[in-house]
Amino acid sequence: MRILLFFCLLLAGGAAMAQNSYDASLIPRDLLPYAGAVVRSEEITTEVKSPDNVIYHVKRAVTILNKNGDAEANLAVFYDKTTSVRSLKGAIYDEFGKATQKISPGDFEDLAATDGFSLFVDDRVKHYTRAVTQYPYTIEFEYEVKTRQSFYFHDWMPNPRSGVAVEKSSYQFICDPGFNLRYKEINLPSKAETGTNKDGKKTCTWTINHLKARRDEPFSPEWNSLAARLMLAPEKFEDQNFSGSFTNWQQLGKWINDHFLADREDLPPATVEHVKELTAGITDPKQKAKKIFEYMQQKTHYISVQVGIGGFRPFPASEVDNDGYGDCKALVNYTKALLKAVGIDSYYCMVEAGEDYKVSFVSDFASLNQGNHIILCVPFKTDTLWSDCTSQTIPFGYLGAFTDDRVVLACTPEGGKLLRTPRYSAADNLEKRKADFVLNDAGAISGDIETEFRGIDYDDRRRIIGESQPDRVKDIKKYYPINNMDIKVLEYKQDKSILPVTFETLKLSARDYGASNNGKLYFLLNPVDRYTEYGIPKLVRNRQNPVYINRGWTEEDEISYALPKGYQLDSDPLNISIEKPFGSFTATMSVNGDKLIYTRKLQVKDGTYSKDMYQDVVDFYQAVADADNYNVVLAKN
Amino acid sequence: MTNMKRILPLLIGTLLSVSAFAQDFTYGDVSSQELDMKKYDKDTSAHAVFLNEYGTTHINFDNDYNVKLTFRYHARIKFFDNKEFERQGTFEIPTYSSGDNDHYEEVQDVKGTTYFKDDNGNVQKEELDKKNIFITRNSKHWSTVKFALPGLRKGCVIEVSYNLVSPYLFDFHSWDFQDDIPKVTSTYEVHIPGFWFYNAMLKGYLKLTRNTSNVERACMTYGASSMGATGISADCSDIVYGMDNIPAFIEEDFMTSKKNYLSAISFQLAERTDLNTGAKIKLTREWKDIDKLLKDDYGFGSQLKRTSLLKDRVTPVIAGKTDELAKAKAIYYYINHNIKWDEQNNALSEDGIKQALDKHTGNSGDINLALVSALNAGGIRAEAVLLSTRAHGNITRLYPNLDDFNYVVAKADIGDKSYLLDATDPMLPFGMLPMRCLNDQGRAFSLDKPSDWVDLNTAQRQTTTYNFDLTLLQTDGKLKGTIKRFSVGYDAYLKRKEIKKFNSTDEYVEHVEQALGKVKILKSDIQNLDSLDMPLEESYDVEVSLYNNMNHDKLAFNPVLMDQVKTNPFKLSERDYPVDWGMPSDERYIITIHVPDQYTIENPPQNVSFGLPNQGGRFLTDYQSEGNTFTFSYVTQFNKSVYSAEEYPYLKELYNKIILAEKNEMVFKKKG
Repeated sequence: MRILLFFCLLLAGGAAMAQNSYDASLIPRDLLPYAGAVVRSEEITTEVKSPDNVIYHVKRAVTILNKNGDAEANLAVFYDKTTSVRSLKGAIYDEFGKATQKISPGDFEDLAATDGFSLFVDDRVKHYTRAVTQYPYTIEFEYEVKTRQSFYFHDWMPNPRSGVAVEKSSYQFICDPGFNLRYKEINLPSKAETGTNKDGKKTCTWTINHLKARRDEPFSPEWNSLAARLMLAPEKFEDQNFSGSFTNWQQLGKWINDHFLADREDLPPATVEHVKELTAGITDPKQKAKKIFEYMQQKTHYISVQVGIGGFRPFPASEVDNDGYGDCKALVNYTKALLKAVGIDSYYCMVEAGEDYKVSFVSDFASLNQGNHIILCVPFKTDTLWSDCTSQTIPFGYLGAFTDDRVVLACTPEGGKLLRTPRYSAADNLEKRKADFVLNDAGAISGDIETEFRGIDYDDRRRIIGESQPDRVKDIKKYYPINNMDIKVLEYKQDKSILPVTFETLKLSARDYGASNNGKLYFLLNPVDRYTEYGIPKLVRNRQNPVYINRGWTEEDEISYALPKGYQLDSDPLNISIEKPFGSFTATMSVNGDKLIYTRKLQVKDGTYSKDMYQDVVDFYQAVADADNYNVVLAKN
Repeated sequence: MTNMKRILPLLIGTLLSVSAFAQDFTYGDVSSQELDMKKYDKDTSAHAVFLNEYGTTHINFDNDYNVKLTFRYHARIKFFDNKEFERQGTFEIPTYSSGDNDHYEEVQDVKGTTYFKDDNGNVQKEELDKKNIFITRNSKHWSTVKFALPGLRKGCVIEVSYNLVSPYLFDFHSWDFQDDIPKVTSTYEVHIPGFWFYNAMLKGYLKLTRNTSNVERACMTYGASSMGATGISADCSDIVYGMDNIPAFIEEDFMTSKKNYLSAISFQLAERTDLNTGAKIKLTREWKDIDKLLKDDYGFGSQLKRTSLLKDRVTPVIAGKTDELAKAKAIYYYINHNIKWDEQNNALSEDGIKQALDKHTGNSGDINLALVSALNAGGIRAEAVLLSTRAHGNITRLYPNLDDFNYVVAKADIGDKSYLLDATDPMLPFGMLPMRCLNDQGRAFSLDKPSDWVDLNTAQRQTTTYNFDLTLLQTDGKLKGTIKRFSVGYDAYLKRKEIKKFNSTDEYVEHVEQALGKVKILKSDIQNLDSLDMPLEESYDVEVSLYNNMNHDKLAFNPVLMDQVKTNPFKLSERDYPVDWGMPSDERYIITIHVPDQYTIENPPQNVSFGLPNQGGRFLTDYQSEGNTFTFSYVTQFNKSVYSAEEYPYLKELYNKIILAEKNEMVFKKKG
């Protein structure tokens, strides 16, 4: 123990001495590739003085090498009613490490931390943006924030994004000997050093040196799963309003239910009566729940108001009932209350929402700062249905790309439960199209396109469906690569069942789809979902990351052309079939009399594949783009 | 105190026709008919419609005899479904504060009600709760008052009213007649005592359907006292501007600011009366007034005078240079590289050019006023040209209005030529303005002569020329040769910007190769990447595997290997607003193909020639052959910056012609 303590002090001393050498030429050469910025030194401490007095101290110096590193020169320190900024300063050093400018608190802008969609948020931010014309330079910040809550602690992530290298970074947690800190180390090369400081406090320290910059590579897994990261959580916490303890999801879910949800379900008696009446004749509980959900959808809309603890706690159901609006928490809680009024139990579930990546709750580490959205889970005897209550149009039982296929926390009176939301497979996410065209000898086409959108694709036309008919007719032309489109009919139908489908019917004509020249007629075989060179992922040499495909999908097209009289095929017919672990593609065409039939099926399968597979992915998309741009040549007999 | 008669003639300059007094509609008398409305007959696709909208602005004294502008807003909106709940059911009112606790805008008397019919057909209502009105302090000067109407549901009608009280008489509330949803009727009533004179300006494509005015005698008195002093008093003009059946505004591509087309009325304070002396004071009514104002302004004239500050910096930059153009270029690049643009548009310098030079960062005003001063310090005649960026909207020509300008550039006169300069972007060559500045005319100011208009977009053009020389090899069925792309003028600037986004030119070439599909780049060369005044030249030695061998009777391929136009940018069948590209452009392809001896062309292309009306532009193709060498050329020219809605169908057809011509494959067959 004693030796360890000495060791820790020595390290700290070493760091203190080194901190003034911000000469850019001292950056180890092997940290430079792919780096736009290098974290020269970072020291973060979190000190729990008491459960309602936590001090978060950061000192960080970053050398900005070029324009791509500019983001690391910005600083945003958030605060609110429970969190205050105690000190804030900085300095700028030139390429040789000579201080050229001081940054004082007055240089920071004080702004409302508006998120762009909330009606009201009481968070504020102190923000600094630096514009320096000469690279490289070093920017150093030091600030301290005091917060009156110890519900959760921020993660430590020494390497915040791609393009940043780290020379040295450390994180120290200081607390009373009796305070139990829980933590989880992810991709961290070194383990915690524990010790005692001169005030007799317990310390836990992590240090990381010499992290190379990672490059941005297409089809990469989520940054959080690649980067070094430390997650922290208290076992016990308390402040003026709340206290509690948890070490697992069961306990945390129970605590949330008891403190944030239990007293929020009351509804006005008239509303309870109303929903009972509304569902009186319905015996199937699923149909009952659907009716309630649709009632909620027509009665409310999404408006976010985040005040104080409201960031965690929903507004009471009775308030939503009166105002007709609420955020995700309030709307889920309200729906849950309505369901309860007709005898159906449901769960309030915390989820990390996002379309680009499916992020799950970390199963063996319970903490309050996972998740950014709330959805509703309705367990039935044979299966379980899920719903997002913030959309007025989404079908009951359908989640979509925002929250599908990930582990979420259900907060129930029996305690927290980790559950997985439904996955939509490559085959489920189907865009199926049938088109029949007539091509005349001047190159004009006319015909019908019928399309079904299923699975995640159900939502593909959401924007256009929400528009007025004149706008729809205007905008649909951007979805199809057919010039001179004249829309005769455009109709949408939606089957809002648990496995919903969107149907699109399009009747159109387009002059000059084909070009005629000296007895030849040229036209592009694929008029509907053509990949172009812009859809091909970029080449990456020496790829580091595995290939990650977040979500699979399938496109199926069957297209026929009635060819003009007196013409015959004058090019080799297209016939291609590719089969890869991550996907498959077939495209064929045949001419029979005056009928040309073209079929195309593209399937991409979600999953993680070896990094060596990446070149195959590029080649695959190249082959698809080539085939999609196949030009049919017809010649006059 | 002077006699009131002196003030009387200062009535609003509009033609006054006395008529019945207009009146705001009554809050709360929502009819059953309005609640039962299922659609808006004039636009059945509308999700919501303004049933009525009424605004008034009054100028009054408050209890302490401070002059206040009171803007009152009142609207009634019908929702047919839930699609517009978020946009039209939520209100945001920005307010300004000088930060001195005495001068600030204040929102008062907010009222909001939602009306609907319950299941029994009875009219119910829900009131906006005061606790659900939020005030967010966005920054030092700006706050936003926000609220959402409660209990919105399909078919409901909402009604909202509030007052915005302001001490800023120069900032008279403007009024938007048009919105993203249609309006049955929209009325703005202004009530202005003769102590003040405002210019009113109507913008947009719609016309007023109602315009009346009334004079209210001696409506405002100042200085009267119980001691018998009569004070001065003024008549008030009560003017009503109204529009009925206003269609929803639908945005189109290639437009400048939406503000230029949206129907709205705005006001500018032109004259005020000193209430103590009765003297009328003209405010910026003529350009010479603006010239004077700017000359004395800290953020403008004072900065232009700082030539001595810049003399020391400029002297080493131009040392040894004799000709004026070389000096001007050196100074331009010096400012360009020494002050980084903070992406803020401003016609004036905010904290002075010294601070911008010291901190190496500044807004467009800081940078370009520093440039003007530096040029003058270097002995080059330069002026500051104020302008309005494309996103900021058009400039009023009826009368001078400083608020119209949000940007400034430099104009250097060298010999008998003038150069417009913007030092905010290190990639911009000397004498070129970025697209954001290409908006009609700017106003050139200098310290020693009257200001004048200058055209902003006459000198610029974007030009790309493609030169392909390809040989079909007999031995292996490969097409080999050179592709060259010359980007000139604005195109060179855009291309440099694109290349600089990559970490290296190698990465850019990789990107080009990828975009070329089957074409492999064997060798590449990029010239003049950093010589901003020169055309950017890209040259690629390429190879395309077309055939495995030459045992074919026919060889067909499309020679437009690079940047083939495949989609028509114009998709609407007709258009309401002009197409504004900012500058003329031309593009040409010259493609030369050499084929083996035994082949000849099977389908010599027909030459195409398509012109736009009034020499506005053209597309033509030409084909020539000489032995085994075939040359194709495609020329596209757009000679104007702006094309009217009437010219739109021709533009669209021109693109159609380009697409058709570039789609053709060339077929070569073995000689019989």
